Amino acid sequence: MSALYLYGVTRPRELPARLSERGIFLVESEGRAAIVSELDAAPVQPSRHNLLAHADVVEELHEQSVVLPTRFGTVLDDHAAALELLALPDIEQLLELHRDRSELTLKGTYEESVLEEVSRPLAPLRDAYRQAPTLEGGIALGEAVTEALADRRDRDLARVLERIERHVEDVVVSKPVGEYGALDLALLVRRDAVEALEAALAEATQELSPPLHLRLVGPLPPYSFVSLELPVAA
Amino acid sequence: MAVMQRESSAGYITRAPRSSGLADVLEILLDRGLVVDAFVRVSLVGIELLTVDLRVVVASVDTYLRFAEAVNRLDLQAVDQSKSVPDLIGGAEEDGAERKTKGAVEGGMDAIKEKIGLGGRGSDDDDDNED
Repeated sequence: MSALYLYGVTRPRELPARLSERGIFLVESEGRAAIVSELDAAPVQPSRHNLLAHADVVEELHEQSVVLPTRFGTVLDDHAAALELLALPDIEQLLELHRDRSELTLKGTYEESVLEEVSRPLAPLRDAYRQAPTLEGGIALGEAVTEALADRRDRDLARVLERIERHVEDVVVSKPVGEYGALDLALLVRRDAVEALEAALAEATQELSPPLHLRLVGPLPPYSFVSLELPVAA
Repeated sequence: MAVMQRESSAGYITRAPRSSGLADVLEILLDRGLVVDAFVRVSLVGIELLTVDLRVVVASVDTYLRFAEAVNRLDLQAVDQSKSVPDLIGGAEEDGAERKTKGAVEGGMDAIKEKIGLGGRGSDDDDDNED
């Protein structure tokens, strides 16, 4: 019997043809279902194709009803292992908890012009560097700019959170990636509150932009809100 | 695969109903989601490195020097009227006028300004309602 690649857990239902044609099927038990496909060759490579396929399956199914997405790379030994997984009480609790909820990711990036705004008080330091462009002077100036940018990030994060907190049930705040990264949030939102969240963000950008650009993606399955590790006797 | 992606951008917020590309999903797929320890029998070489790389804290000397150079190119004098955000938009006209008096002679300087976004805003001042 072949191994099964596990995409996530959902409620039993008919799968869209687009997915079943690609070999995705459900292993069902007592109102719960594991989303799987047969796996010929292990190990699974974290390739672009595989990662996007995983995301595509869980996102597609989450559009209609709850999906608890699995971390990429989870493989079940066989059908029996899928049934064992579905029998865990935590699975039922999470399915119920996330019944009407979605994750949205919100990332913010600054335009380079943010440096102009945050560096205004640093003119003396900059002038000193201009007159004597030493390595030490450059590092001192750059360090001061980095600090000013960090303050700006904290300020903007606080403002964004203040604007959206009424519309979200939970938030995971991560460190933004890149020199011009401004914020990186995962938001747990009721499905019927997504529009209100969008409106609140649109309002927030009037106050914050430029130079802040926001990117809101979702509704996605609640990747960031199912991260409990289930201990299972093998 | 032909998934319809509706993506829209209104002002400074981009809206994507589904993830569109690795950048949107990489971290959440590798770093989050349900973990079922006993079931994970495939160890994925390279993932640890990948996620660590994504989280590299960018506060190196290299970054400092790049920021220093970027700030060095800025004309901080011109903005010491301490503009707030609304002022930046309204003030673009002044910048634009100033730019016009300079004409094309200082193209090199203007070109740099364009590149770092100062000139770019100035050149937008004729059609403020563009948004």
